[in-house]
Amino acid sequence: MDFKDLASRLGIDDEDFMELVELFVTTSLSDIDKIKKGFQEGNCDDAAAASHSIKGASGNLGFDDIYKLSMEMEMQAKQGSLENFENFISDLESMVTALNSI
Amino acid sequence: MEDKQPYTVLAVDDNLLNLKLIEKSLSKEGYRIFSADNGPDARKIADKEKPDLILLDIEMPGENGFEVIKKLKDDAGTNSIPVLFLTGVSEVDSKLKGFELGAVDYIIKPFHPLEVLARVRIHLKLSIATNSLIAGQANKLKQVTEAQVSMMPTPEENPKALFGVFYQALEEAGGDFYDILNISEKITGYFVADFSGHDIKISYMTASVKALLAQNCTPVYSPAESIKLINDVLVEILPEGKYLTACYMHINRTTKKLTIINSGHPPVVCMPKKGDPYLIKMDGDVLGMFKDAHFGVQSFDVEEGDKFFVYSDGLVESAENKVTWASGADSLLPTYKKVAKVPYDKAPTELVKQLFGEDSLLEDDIVVLCVEV
Repeated sequence: MDFKDLASRLGIDDEDFMELVELFVTTSLSDIDKIKKGFQEGNCDDAAAASHSIKGASGNLGFDDIYKLSMEMEMQAKQGSLENFENFISDLESMVTALNSI
Repeated sequence: MEDKQPYTVLAVDDNLLNLKLIEKSLSKEGYRIFSADNGPDARKIADKEKPDLILLDIEMPGENGFEVIKKLKDDAGTNSIPVLFLTGVSEVDSKLKGFELGAVDYIIKPFHPLEVLARVRIHLKLSIATNSLIAGQANKLKQVTEAQVSMMPTPEENPKALFGVFYQALEEAGGDFYDILNISEKITGYFVADFSGHDIKISYMTASVKALLAQNCTPVYSPAESIKLINDVLVEILPEGKYLTACYMHINRTTKKLTIINSGHPPVVCMPKKGDPYLIKMDGDVLGMFKDAHFGVQSFDVEEGDKFFVYSDGLVESAENKVTWASGADSLLPTYKKVAKVPYDKAPTELVKQLFGEDSLLEDDIVVLCVEV
Protein backbone atom coordinates (compact mmCIF):
# COMPACT_ATOMS: atom_id res chain seq x y z
CA MET A 1 0.00 0.00 0.00
CA ASP A 2 1.39 3.38 -1.04
CA PHE A 3 0.75 5.75 1.83
CA LYS A 4 2.19 8.72 0.01
CA ASP A 5 -0.24 8.16 -2.83
CA LEU A 6 -3.19 7.77 -0.46
CA ALA A 7 -2.20 10.93 1.40
CA SER A 8 -1.91 12.97 -1.77
CA ARG A 9 -5.22 11.65 -3.06
CA LEU A 10 -6.83 12.89 0.14
CA GLY A 11 -5.09 16.22 -0.25
CA ILE A 12 -3.31 16.06 3.10
CA ASP A 13 0.32 15.93 4.21
CA ASP A 14 2.12 12.59 4.73
CA GLU A 15 2.67 13.48 8.34
CA ASP A 16 -1.02 14.18 8.96
CA PHE A 17 -1.90 11.02 7.11
CA MET A 18 0.39 8.90 9.32
CA GLU A 19 -1.19 10.43 12.39
CA LEU A 20 -4.62 9.49 11.06
CA VAL A 21 -3.46 5.95 10.27
CA GLU A 22 -2.21 5.53 13.83
CA LEU A 23 -5.51 6.79 15.15
CA PHE A 24 -7.34 4.48 12.76
CA VAL A 25 -5.41 1.44 13.98
CA THR A 26 -6.08 2.25 17.64
CA THR A 27 -9.80 2.90 17.22
CA SER A 28 -10.28 -0.04 14.84
CA LEU A 29 -8.58 -2.48 17.22
CA SER A 30 -10.92 -1.29 19.93
CA ASP A 31 -13.87 -1.71 17.53
CA ILE A 32 -12.66 -5.20 16.64
CA ASP A 33 -12.74 -6.06 20.35
CA LYS A 34 -16.36 -4.89 20.40
CA ILE A 35 -17.16 -7.07 17.36
CA LYS A 36 -15.50 -10.04 19.07
CA LYS A 37 -17.54 -9.45 22.20
CA GLY A 38 -20.73 -9.09 20.17
CA PHE A 39 -19.93 -12.27 18.32
CA GLN A 40 -19.29 -14.18 21.56
CA GLU A 41 -22.51 -12.89 23.11
CA GLY A 42 -24.52 -13.29 19.92
CA ASN A 43 -25.25 -9.54 19.97
CA CYS A 44 -25.72 -8.58 16.32
CA ASP A 45 -26.45 -4.89 17.02
CA ASP A 46 -23.15 -4.33 18.79
CA ALA A 47 -21.25 -6.19 16.08
CA ALA A 48 -23.00 -4.12 13.38
CA ALA A 49 -22.32 -0.81 15.16
CA ALA A 50 -18.61 -1.53 15.59
CA SER A 51 -18.34 -2.73 11.97
CA HIS A 52 -20.08 0.46 10.87
CA SER A 53 -17.50 2.55 12.67
CA ILE A 54 -14.57 0.76 11.00
CA LYS A 55 -16.35 0.97 7.66
CA GLY A 56 -16.76 4.77 7.90
CA ALA A 57 -13.19 5.47 8.88
CA SER A 58 -11.54 3.05 6.43
CA GLY A 59 -13.65 4.33 3.56
CA ASN A 60 -12.63 7.91 4.17
CA LEU A 61 -8.95 7.03 4.42
CA GLY A 62 -9.06 5.01 1.22
CA PHE A 63 -8.41 1.57 2.78
CA ASP A 64 -10.65 -0.18 0.28
CA ASP A 65 -10.13 -3.81 1.42
CA ILE A 66 -10.93 -3.01 5.03
CA TYR A 67 -13.90 -0.92 3.88
CA LYS A 68 -15.38 -3.75 1.79
CA LEU A 69 -14.95 -6.36 4.51
CA SER A 70 -16.36 -4.21 7.30
CA MET A 71 -19.29 -3.21 5.11
CA GLU A 72 -20.10 -6.85 4.46
CA MET A 73 -19.87 -7.58 8.19
CA GLU A 74 -22.13 -4.66 9.05
CA MET A 75 -24.77 -5.65 6.49
CA GLN A 76 -24.75 -9.27 7.57
CA ALA A 77 -24.96 -8.39 11.27
CA LYS A 78 -27.79 -5.94 10.58
CA GLN A 79 -29.66 -8.83 8.98
CA GLY A 80 -29.17 -10.80 12.18
CA SER A 81 -26.45 -13.20 11.14
CA LEU A 82 -22.98 -13.56 12.61
CA GLU A 83 -22.09 -16.50 10.42
CA ASN A 84 -18.44 -16.70 9.41
CA PHE A 85 -17.59 -13.86 11.78
CA GLU A 86 -14.72 -15.79 13.31
CA ASN A 87 -12.89 -15.68 9.95
CA PHE A 88 -14.01 -12.15 9.21
CA ILE A 89 -12.68 -10.92 12.53
CA SER A 90 -9.34 -12.60 12.09
CA ASP A 91 -8.97 -11.22 8.51
CA LEU A 92 -9.95 -7.76 9.65
CA GLU A 93 -7.53 -7.86 12.55
CA SER A 94 -4.60 -8.85 10.36
CA MET A 95 -5.45 -6.15 7.80
CA VAL A 96 -5.56 -3.49 10.49
CA THR A 97 -2.40 -4.61 12.29
CA ALA A 98 -0.61 -4.79 8.94
CA LEU A 99 -1.00 -1.01 8.74
CA ASN A 100 1.12 -0.72 11.87
CA SER A 101 4.17 -2.22 10.29
CA ILE A 102 4.33 0.25 7.43
CA MET B 1 -2.31 44.35 9.01
CA GLU B 2 -5.14 42.94 11.03
CA ASP B 3 -5.90 39.27 10.46
CA LYS B 4 -9.36 38.50 9.18
CA GLN B 5 -11.55 36.34 11.37
CA PRO B 6 -11.43 32.81 9.92
CA TYR B 7 -14.64 31.09 8.86
CA THR B 8 -15.70 28.53 11.40
CA VAL B 9 -17.05 25.06 10.77
CA LEU B 10 -18.55 22.73 13.33
CA ALA B 11 -17.94 19.05 12.46
CA VAL B 12 -20.17 16.51 14.18
CA ASP B 13 -19.44 12.81 13.89
CA ASP B 14 -19.27 10.02 16.44
CA ASN B 15 -16.33 8.61 14.51
CA LEU B 16 -13.22 10.23 15.94
CA LEU B 17 -11.18 9.50 12.86
CA ASN B 18 -13.64 11.20 10.55
CA LEU B 19 -13.59 14.24 12.80
CA LYS B 20 -9.81 14.35 12.67
CA LEU B 21 -9.79 13.96 8.91
CA ILE B 22 -12.23 16.85 8.46
CA GLU B 23 -10.33 18.95 10.96
CA LYS B 24 -7.00 18.38 9.25
CA SER B 25 -8.19 19.04 5.73
CA LEU B 26 -10.26 22.12 6.53
CA SER B 27 -7.88 23.77 9.00
CA LYS B 28 -5.13 23.45 6.43
CA GLU B 29 -7.21 25.76 4.20
CA GLY B 30 -7.63 28.37 6.91
CA TYR B 31 -10.93 27.36 8.50
CA ARG B 32 -11.32 27.16 12.22
CA ILE B 33 -12.87 23.86 13.25
CA PHE B 34 -14.98 22.98 16.26
CA SER B 35 -15.76 19.33 16.69
CA ALA B 36 -18.30 17.30 18.61
CA ASP B 37 -18.81 13.53 18.71
CA ASN B 38 -22.44 13.67 19.83
CA GLY B 39 -25.63 15.67 19.26
CA PRO B 40 -26.09 17.49 22.57
CA ASP B 41 -22.46 18.71 22.58
CA ALA B 42 -22.84 19.81 18.97
CA ARG B 43 -25.90 21.90 19.82
CA LYS B 44 -24.14 23.48 22.78
CA ILE B 45 -21.17 24.47 20.62
CA ALA B 46 -23.43 25.70 17.81
CA ASP B 47 -25.28 27.91 20.25
CA LYS B 48 -22.16 29.32 21.86
CA GLU B 49 -19.83 29.69 18.88
CA LYS B 50 -22.34 30.33 16.06
CA PRO B 51 -20.22 28.60 13.42
CA ASP B 52 -20.56 29.67 9.78
CA LEU B 53 -21.43 26.12 8.73
CA ILE B 54 -22.16 22.72 10.29
CA LEU B 55 -21.13 19.31 8.95
CA LEU B 56 -23.35 16.76 10.59
CA ASP B 57 -23.24 12.98 10.58
CA ILE B 58 -26.70 11.39 10.54
CA GLU B 59 -25.99 8.04 12.07
CA MET B 60 -24.88 8.66 15.63
CA PRO B 61 -25.73 6.86 18.85
CA GLY B 62 -28.06 8.71 21.22
CA GLU B 63 -29.33 11.87 19.55
CA ASN B 64 -28.99 11.23 15.81
CA GLY B 65 -28.30 13.81 13.12
CA PHE B 66 -31.98 14.31 12.27
CA GLU B 67 -32.83 15.21 15.82
CA VAL B 68 -29.86 17.57 15.93
CA ILE B 69 -30.90 19.42 12.73
CA LYS B 70 -34.45 19.69 13.95
CA LYS B 71 -33.37 21.23 17.24
CA LEU B 72 -30.90 23.57 15.52
CA LYS B 73 -33.61 24.76 13.13
CA ASP B 74 -36.09 25.28 15.96
CA ASP B 75 -33.63 27.50 17.80
CA ALA B 76 -33.63 31.12 16.60
CA GLY B 77 -29.97 31.44 17.53
CA THR B 78 -28.84 28.65 15.23
CA ASN B 79 -31.53 28.25 12.56
CA SER B 80 -29.76 30.30 9.91
CA ILE B 81 -26.51 28.30 10.06
CA PRO B 82 -26.27 26.12 6.94
CA VAL B 83 -26.12 22.41 7.76
CA LEU B 84 -24.55 19.82 5.44
CA PHE B 85 -25.14 16.26 6.45
CA LEU B 86 -23.03 13.19 5.95
CA THR B 87 -24.91 10.14 4.81
CA GLY B 88 -24.39 6.70 3.27
CA VAL B 89 -24.73 6.34 -0.50
CA SER B 90 -27.76 4.07 -0.49
CA GLU B 91 -29.83 5.99 2.01
CA VAL B 92 -32.23 7.91 -0.26
CA ASP B 93 -34.81 8.34 2.47
CA SER B 94 -32.29 9.86 4.79
CA LYS B 95 -31.21 12.40 2.16
CA LEU B 96 -34.81 13.47 1.62
CA LYS B 97 -35.46 13.65 5.32
CA GLY B 98 -32.33 15.76 5.80
CA PHE B 99 -33.50 18.29 3.20
CA GLU B 100 -36.96 18.30 4.65
CA LEU B 101 -35.54 19.22 8.02
CA GLY B 102 -33.66 22.17 6.53
CA ALA B 103 -30.22 20.89 5.54
CA VAL B 104 -28.70 22.68 2.54
CA ASP B 105 -26.79 19.75 1.08
CA TYR B 106 -25.37 16.32 1.81
CA ILE B 107 -22.03 14.61 1.42
CA ILE B 108 -21.97 10.89 0.70
CA LYS B 109 -19.89 8.65 2.94
CA PRO B 110 -17.20 7.56 2.65
CA PHE B 111 -16.36 11.14 1.86
CA HIS B 112 -13.31 12.55 0.19
CA PRO B 113 -11.78 15.45 2.14
CA LEU B 114 -11.40 17.50 -1.04
CA GLU B 115 -15.09 17.10 -1.77
CA VAL B 116 -15.92 18.19 1.76
CA LEU B 117 -13.71 21.23 1.24
CA ALA B 118 -15.37 22.08 -2.09
CA ARG B 119 -18.87 21.78 -0.64
CA VAL B 120 -17.98 23.78 2.44
CA ARG B 121 -16.63 26.52 0.17
CA ILE B 122 -19.66 26.68 -2.08
CA HIS B 123 -22.11 26.76 0.81
CA LEU B 124 -20.15 29.42 2.63
CA LYS B 125 -20.22 31.51 -0.55
CA LEU B 126 -23.97 31.02 -0.85
CA SER B 127 -24.44 31.90 2.77
CA ILE B 128 -22.31 35.04 2.44
CA ALA B 129 -24.29 36.12 -0.62
CA THR B 130 -27.62 35.49 1.11
CA ASN B 131 -26.53 37.31 4.23
CA SER B 132 -25.35 40.33 2.30
CA LEU B 133 -28.60 40.37 0.36
CA ILE B 134 -30.57 40.33 3.58
CA ALA B 135 -28.35 43.00 5.11
CA GLY B 136 -28.75 45.11 1.97
CA GLN B 137 -32.51 44.81 2.00
CA ALA B 138 -32.72 45.52 5.70
CA ASN B 139 -30.57 48.59 5.20
CA LYS B 140 -32.75 49.82 2.36
CA LEU B 141 -35.93 49.28 4.36
CA LYS B 142 -34.33 51.16 7.22
CA GLN B 143 -33.66 54.07 4.89
CA VAL B 144 -37.28 54.08 3.74
CA THR B 145 -38.46 54.04 7.33
CA GLU B 146 -36.06 56.79 8.31
CA ALA B 147 -37.19 58.79 5.31
CA GLN B 148 -40.82 58.40 6.32
CA VAL B 149 -40.10 59.55 9.85
CA SER B 150 -38.45 62.72 8.66
CA MET B 151 -40.80 63.13 5.73
CA MET B 152 -40.62 66.88 5.60
CA PRO B 153 -37.50 68.29 7.18
CA THR B 154 -38.10 71.53 9.08
CA PRO B 155 -35.94 74.67 8.92
CA GLU B 156 -35.36 74.31 12.68
CA GLU B 157 -33.77 70.90 12.14
CA ASN B 158 -31.60 72.24 9.34
CA PRO B 159 -30.40 75.71 10.41
CA LYS B 160 -27.39 75.58 8.08
CA ALA B 161 -29.63 75.05 5.06
CA LEU B 162 -30.96 78.64 5.45
CA PHE B 163 -34.45 78.02 4.15
CA GLY B 164 -38.07 78.77 4.93
CA VAL B 165 -41.01 76.71 3.77
CA PHE B 166 -44.72 76.83 3.22
CA TYR B 167 -46.24 73.38 2.83
CA GLN B 168 -49.86 72.47 2.51
CA ALA B 169 -51.33 69.22 1.25
CA LEU B 170 -55.01 68.99 0.31
CA GLU B 171 -55.08 65.32 1.23
CA GLU B 172 -53.02 63.21 3.55
CA ALA B 173 -51.22 61.66 0.65
CA GLY B 174 -50.36 64.88 -1.07
CA GLY B 175 -48.63 64.88 -4.41
CA ASP B 176 -46.18 67.61 -3.44
CA PHE B 177 -43.15 67.12 -1.31
CA TYR B 178 -39.75 68.55 -0.65
CA ASP B 179 -36.51 67.42 0.89
CA ILE B 180 -33.35 69.01 2.21
CA LEU B 181 -30.08 67.16 1.69
CA ASN B 182 -27.16 68.08 3.85
CA ILE B 183 -24.49 66.82 1.49
CA SER B 184 -21.63 68.32 3.49
CA GLU B 185 -21.02 71.14 5.93
CA LYS B 186 -21.27 73.79 3.20
CA ILE B 187 -23.13 71.93 0.45
CA THR B 188 -26.90 71.56 0.55
CA GLY B 189 -29.40 70.11 -1.88
CA TYR B 190 -33.02 71.31 -2.08
CA PHE B 191 -35.53 69.10 -3.80
CA VAL B 192 -39.11 70.03 -4.61
CA ALA B 193 -41.32 67.62 -6.50
CA ASP B 194 -44.89 67.03 -7.51
CA PHE B 195 -46.20 63.54 -8.20
CA SER B 196 -48.75 63.06 -10.92
CA GLY B 197 -52.02 62.16 -9.24
CA HIS B 198 -53.07 62.00 -5.60
CA ASP B 199 -53.45 58.65 -3.95
CA ILE B 200 -52.16 56.69 -1.04
CA LYS B 201 -49.55 54.96 -3.19
CA ILE B 202 -47.84 58.31 -3.46
CA SER B 203 -46.84 58.37 0.18
CA TYR B 204 -44.98 55.13 -0.36
CA MET B 205 -43.40 56.48 -3.53
CA THR B 206 -42.45 59.69 -1.77
CA ALA B 207 -40.59 57.59 0.78
CA SER B 208 -38.82 55.76 -2.04
CA VAL B 209 -37.80 59.01 -3.72
CA LYS B 210 -36.51 60.37 -0.43
CA ALA B 211 -34.50 57.20 0.14
CA LEU B 212 -33.08 57.54 -3.39
CA LEU B 213 -32.18 61.16 -2.73
CA ALA B 214 -30.38 60.16 0.45
CA GLN B 215 -28.49 57.46 -1.43
CA ASN B 216 -27.56 59.42 -4.51
CA CYS B 217 -27.14 63.06 -3.49
CA THR B 218 -23.62 62.70 -2.18
CA PRO B 219 -20.37 64.57 -2.80
CA VAL B 220 -19.36 61.74 -5.15
CA TYR B 221 -21.96 62.62 -7.80
CA SER B 222 -22.58 65.88 -9.60
CA PRO B 223 -26.17 67.16 -9.19
CA ALA B 224 -26.96 66.07 -12.76
CA GLU B 225 -25.55 62.61 -12.11
CA SER B 226 -27.58 62.28 -8.90
CA ILE B 227 -30.84 63.09 -10.68
CA LYS B 228 -29.98 60.81 -13.60
CA LEU B 229 -29.36 57.91 -11.19
CA ILE B 230 -32.61 58.59 -9.36
CA ASN B 231 -34.49 58.80 -12.67
CA ASP B 232 -33.13 55.44 -13.81
CA VAL B 233 -34.34 53.70 -10.64
CA LEU B 234 -37.71 55.46 -10.72
CA VAL B 235 -38.29 54.37 -14.33
CA GLU B 236 -38.02 50.80 -13.03
CA ILE B 237 -40.11 51.11 -9.88
CA LEU B 238 -42.88 53.62 -10.61
CA PRO B 239 -46.21 52.21 -11.74
CA GLU B 240 -47.04 52.88 -15.36
CA GLY B 241 -48.20 56.42 -16.02
CA LYS B 242 -46.77 57.75 -12.75
CA TYR B 243 -44.08 60.36 -12.90
CA LEU B 244 -43.00 63.48 -11.09
CA THR B 245 -41.96 66.95 -11.99
CA ALA B 246 -39.08 68.09 -9.87
CA CYS B 247 -36.52 70.75 -9.27
CA TYR B 248 -33.24 70.04 -7.59
CA MET B 249 -31.17 72.99 -6.45
CA HIS B 250 -27.64 72.40 -5.26
CA ILE B 251 -25.74 75.13 -3.45
CA ASN B 252 -22.07 75.06 -2.56
CA ARG B 253 -21.68 77.90 -0.06
CA THR B 254 -17.88 77.66 -0.17
CA THR B 255 -17.45 78.06 -3.92
CA LYS B 256 -20.66 80.15 -4.14
CA LYS B 257 -21.83 77.98 -6.99
CA LEU B 258 -25.46 77.08 -7.55
CA THR B 259 -26.74 74.36 -9.85
CA ILE B 260 -30.34 73.77 -10.78
CA ILE B 261 -31.66 70.61 -12.38
CA ASN B 262 -35.16 70.98 -13.74
CA SER B 263 -37.38 68.12 -14.81
CA GLY B 264 -40.65 69.48 -16.12
CA HIS B 265 -41.05 71.73 -13.09
CA PRO B 266 -42.01 75.43 -12.81
CA PRO B 267 -38.99 77.74 -13.08
CA VAL B 268 -36.98 78.75 -10.02
CA VAL B 269 -37.29 82.41 -9.09
CA CYS B 270 -34.03 84.16 -8.35
CA MET B 271 -34.19 87.19 -6.13
CA PRO B 272 -30.73 88.78 -6.15
CA LYS B 273 -29.64 90.81 -3.16
CA LYS B 274 -29.56 93.78 -5.49
CA GLY B 275 -31.91 93.89 -8.44
CA ASP B 276 -35.27 92.59 -9.54
CA PRO B 277 -36.49 89.00 -9.28
CA TYR B 278 -36.37 86.91 -12.44
CA LEU B 279 -37.22 83.39 -13.60
CA ILE B 280 -34.63 80.75 -14.40
CA LYS B 281 -36.39 78.99 -17.26
CA MET B 282 -35.26 75.59 -18.53
CA ASP B 283 -36.75 72.73 -20.46
CA GLY B 284 -36.44 69.23 -19.06
CA ASP B 285 -38.20 65.86 -19.19
CA VAL B 286 -40.26 64.70 -16.24
CA LEU B 287 -38.68 62.34 -13.70
CA GLY B 288 -39.33 58.59 -13.68
CA MET B 289 -40.79 58.34 -17.18
CA PHE B 290 -37.94 57.88 -19.67
CA LYS B 291 -34.74 55.95 -19.34
CA ASP B 292 -32.82 58.41 -21.54
CA ALA B 293 -34.46 61.52 -20.10
CA HIS B 294 -32.89 64.91 -20.67
CA PHE B 295 -33.02 67.41 -17.84
CA GLY B 296 -32.47 71.14 -17.81
CA VAL B 297 -29.18 71.99 -16.09
CA GLN B 298 -27.84 75.43 -15.22
CA SER B 299 -24.98 76.44 -13.00
CA PHE B 300 -24.04 79.96 -12.02
CA ASP B 301 -22.21 81.99 -9.42
CA VAL B 302 -24.20 83.43 -6.57
CA GLU B 303 -23.60 85.86 -3.74
CA GLU B 304 -24.37 85.74 -0.08
CA GLY B 305 -27.84 87.15 0.51
CA ASP B 306 -29.24 86.05 -2.87
CA LYS B 307 -32.56 84.28 -2.45
CA PHE B 308 -34.14 81.56 -4.52
CA PHE B 309 -37.72 80.35 -4.58
CA VAL B 310 -38.46 76.77 -5.53
CA TYR B 311 -42.13 75.85 -5.57
CA SER B 312 -44.74 73.52 -6.94
CA ASP B 313 -47.25 74.33 -9.65
CA GLY B 314 -50.04 74.85 -7.10
CA LEU B 315 -48.58 78.28 -6.44
CA VAL B 316 -49.00 79.52 -9.97
CA GLU B 317 -51.68 77.40 -11.57
CA SER B 318 -55.34 77.93 -11.23
CA ALA B 319 -57.83 75.49 -12.68
CA GLU B 320 -60.54 77.99 -11.95
CA ASN B 321 -58.84 80.74 -13.91
CA LYS B 322 -57.29 78.36 -16.46
CA VAL B 323 -53.78 79.51 -15.73
CA THR B 324 -50.86 77.13 -16.22
CA TRP B 325 -47.45 77.69 -14.73
CA ALA B 326 -45.93 78.30 -18.14
CA SER B 327 -47.86 81.54 -18.36
CA GLY B 328 -48.59 82.00 -14.65
CA ALA B 329 -44.99 82.11 -13.47
CA ASP B 330 -44.18 85.39 -15.23
CA SER B 331 -47.22 87.13 -13.84
CA LEU B 332 -46.05 86.43 -10.28
CA LEU B 333 -42.81 88.37 -10.48
CA PRO B 334 -44.35 91.60 -9.16
CA THR B 335 -45.60 89.68 -6.11
CA TYR B 336 -42.08 88.36 -5.41
CA LYS B 337 -40.89 91.94 -5.47
CA LYS B 338 -43.31 92.69 -2.64
CA VAL B 339 -41.67 90.10 -0.41
CA ALA B 340 -38.11 91.06 -1.35
CA LYS B 341 -37.40 92.51 2.09
CA VAL B 342 -39.02 89.66 4.03
CA PRO B 343 -36.45 87.35 5.67
CA TYR B 344 -36.07 83.98 3.93
CA ASP B 345 -37.66 82.01 6.76
CA LYS B 346 -40.90 84.03 6.55
CA ALA B 347 -40.95 84.74 2.82
CA PRO B 348 -42.84 81.60 1.67
CA THR B 349 -45.80 82.18 4.00
CA GLU B 350 -45.86 85.86 3.15
CA LEU B 351 -45.82 85.07 -0.56
CA VAL B 352 -48.77 82.69 -0.27
CA LYS B 353 -50.63 85.31 1.78
CA GLN B 354 -50.00 87.93 -0.89
CA LEU B 355 -51.20 85.62 -3.64
CA PHE B 356 -54.19 83.90 -2.09
CA GLY B 357 -55.21 86.20 0.73
CA GLU B 358 -55.21 85.39 4.45
CA ASP B 359 -57.66 82.46 4.67
CA SER B 360 -58.53 81.46 1.15
CA LEU B 361 -59.19 77.82 0.20
CA LEU B 362 -56.36 76.41 -1.82
CA GLU B 363 -57.08 74.58 -5.07
CA ASP B 364 -54.03 72.33 -5.01
CA ASP B 365 -51.17 71.13 -2.85
CA ILE B 366 -48.62 73.85 -2.43
CA VAL B 367 -45.00 73.83 -1.44
CA VAL B 368 -42.86 76.94 -1.53
CA LEU B 369 -39.25 76.95 -0.47
CA CYS B 370 -37.18 80.08 -0.06
CA VAL B 371 -33.46 79.53 0.20
CA GLU B 372 -30.83 82.11 0.99
CA VAL B 373 -27.24 81.68 -0.09
